[in-house]
Amino acid sequence: MRLVPREQPGPAFVLAVSALAVLLAFAASLVLLALYGASPVEALRVVYQGVLADPRGFAEVLRRAVPLTLAGAGLALAFRAQFWNIGAEGQLLLGAVAASGVALFGPGEGITKLFLMGLAAFVAGGLWAALPAYLKGRLSVNDVITTLMLNYVAIYLVEWLIHGPWKGRSVFGFAYTDRFPASAWLPTWPGTALAWPGVLLAVAFAVFFAWLLFATRLGFEIRVVGENPEAARYAGIRALSTLFWVALLSGGVAGLAGFVEVAGTHHRLLAPLQISLGYGYTAIIVAWLGRNHPLTTLLTGLLIGFVFAAGDVAKVALATPFQLVQVVNGLILFFLIAAEVPIRYRIVWGSDRG
Amino acid sequence: MKRVGLAVLLLLGMLAMAEGKLKAGWIYVGPIGDYGWTHAHDVGRKEAEKAFPWLKTLYVESVPEGQVGSYIDQMVRQGVRVIFATSFGYMDGVLEAAKRYPNVIFAHATGFKRAPNVATYMADFYQVYYLNGLMAGALTKSGKVGYVGAFPIPEVKRHINAFTLGVRAVNPKAKVLVRWIYEWYNPAAAKEATEALIAEGADVFAFTEDSPTVVQVAAEKHLPSFSHYSPMLKFAPDYVVSGQLVHWGAIYKDFLAKVYAGLYTPKNLKDVDYWWLLPQKAVELGADYGVPVNPKFIPALKAKKIHHPVFGEISVYDLVMKLKAMMSDVELAFDPFQGPIKDRKGHLRVPAGVRLTQAQLESMEWAVEGVTGPWPNEPK
Repeated sequence: MRLVPREQPGPAFVLAVSALAVLLAFAASLVLLALYGASPVEALRVVYQGVLADPRGFAEVLRRAVPLTLAGAGLALAFRAQFWNIGAEGQLLLGAVAASGVALFGPGEGITKLFLMGLAAFVAGGLWAALPAYLKGRLSVNDVITTLMLNYVAIYLVEWLIHGPWKGRSVFGFAYTDRFPASAWLPTWPGTALAWPGVLLAVAFAVFFAWLLFATRLGFEIRVVGENPEAARYAGIRALSTLFWVALLSGGVAGLAGFVEVAGTHHRLLAPLQISLGYGYTAIIVAWLGRNHPLTTLLTGLLIGFVFAAGDVAKVALATPFQLVQVVNGLILFFLIAAEVPIRYRIVWGSDRG
Repeated sequence: MKRVGLAVLLLLGMLAMAEGKLKAGWIYVGPIGDYGWTHAHDVGRKEAEKAFPWLKTLYVESVPEGQVGSYIDQMVRQGVRVIFATSFGYMDGVLEAAKRYPNVIFAHATGFKRAPNVATYMADFYQVYYLNGLMAGALTKSGKVGYVGAFPIPEVKRHINAFTLGVRAVNPKAKVLVRWIYEWYNPAAAKEATEALIAEGADVFAFTEDSPTVVQVAAEKHLPSFSHYSPMLKFAPDYVVSGQLVHWGAIYKDFLAKVYAGLYTPKNLKDVDYWWLLPQKAVELGADYGVPVNPKFIPALKAKKIHHPVFGEISVYDLVMKLKAMMSDVELAFDPFQGPIKDRKGHLRVPAGVRLTQAQLESMEWAVEGVTGPWPNEPK
């Protein structure tokens, strides 16, 4: 048996293999559940009833999908330019910080206030990503390391703010800010906890990024810089400025995800782990699963959002351990990476001499 | 065919019985396998389920504070009628859900906002901390007692104050050195803080953190300590003197029995606030159940005699036992926060003959004399 590289696998084939990988990951999760003592049939029933057949449950899928898709679409853009942004988590937190700052201390009322919060979040997240992009473009500093490390800086920034200068006066000494004024809350869909403007933002940016990437000059430059830096230089593309725009947009949408979380769900700035549930890291799976196409992240964001929501249901109804969601996400990533082999290679039976 | 019919009937009967049970759900902020807060609540849940055949319980662990609403939705959908939310940070989420589900009963641990269908509850340690302080004061040779604190919130401050009052009742010149780690669970930070306190000369330790780290680090240096929350005697049998233990089950059983009996309804909980102490057996003195003082330390505590304003010449061991008995009585003939008490800036905080109210205890931000180290939000 040997592996022969494929010529250009077609999109239908890639989709089929990826879907199979996800199905296998779900099957493996059910096996794990069975080993834990929960019946897989019962698990499917509970998830169907609690998530898919119930409007409130489905709203929970969307609520998780919004930050995942926002950050994921941005990462798709970044990865296209070979800007290895592992820092969406930190960019999301910076967005949450900026949005909270405007909510608590900034000007504006009603829609103006929300707009200013979103804008501040976008700029803060974008600049947080632009810093490692600059270091990469100017000094060739490894972007995986810098974007990752800046996540920790962001975490400690949030911790400092909620323990120090922004600690609320009405929170009995606990480490939160005060609640945002009601004008800084995103409206929710009646009967659910879903801040629906987040859905609009996620769809709008996924579409915008796809258009940008495939129908504009900047998009063309992004793809050339990513696929062939030498050719880019030859064509006179200024890699540094391309990288800057990619970072600003990619970090910016992650920042928006932070804005949606604090303005839509929490209504205050609180401990970093409570704000994001690791959306910034999970968004890497979203982008990757979507083959770095901004439009596909709409689907893959929904899928991972479903994993989160289904995990919540299983935790309550089947008393599964809390790590289940991470395990399922890990399995999806595992099977996807394994799927790279059949996507890129054909398996040929028989010896290579034959 | 008949047999199948019978089996179906039996199954339906069992289902009906299950339907007749009262379903209660617990929402935990941490994993049930931690060595502190969540574990202790889960022990209480199991105790309640074992005690009442009419009770069926559900739980969900590691629920982030901002997400509590959606987990409440899940529980209600599972038929849960009583929900215990066990973290302060769930407060606003619980109150919003309570409006959404006016027929579900909620109980929120450590909170202060109530509603017709939201009660609050707390098992507090301040009396036990005072007793531990008495023993720490007797055992310190350097006159410096170390305290590793989680967060500088009123609850932890109240406990450190009670502990320090105990220390100083035995050893008026002793100091309690405080270090904050800003986490409920962080063994690495607890270790660092303990070592720093040892370097500063502290030779007896108490703490608020959900792991036995402080006990273990102190024991490595052969120094005595007081365990926190769960039984930790087994981690250093020669060095753990005593500590504080919780019995959430006492509150859970009382609350659920009253729901089942129809005493508590979703309409009348506005003023239901459990503030349970030693008399209600919600808390216990000791590093293991039924062992108030490690026998290895009894001789030393008996040998240390002090002059007490009420009891005259008395050994610290006898004093601990006497005050424990007094504080375990509903009459509460003794309370650690009885005036006169000055804060460390010299202001009189509790006038002579006055005791602090529960509200004053719950919002305590000042530090008693003898506490040294940083104290965020200290009033001027």
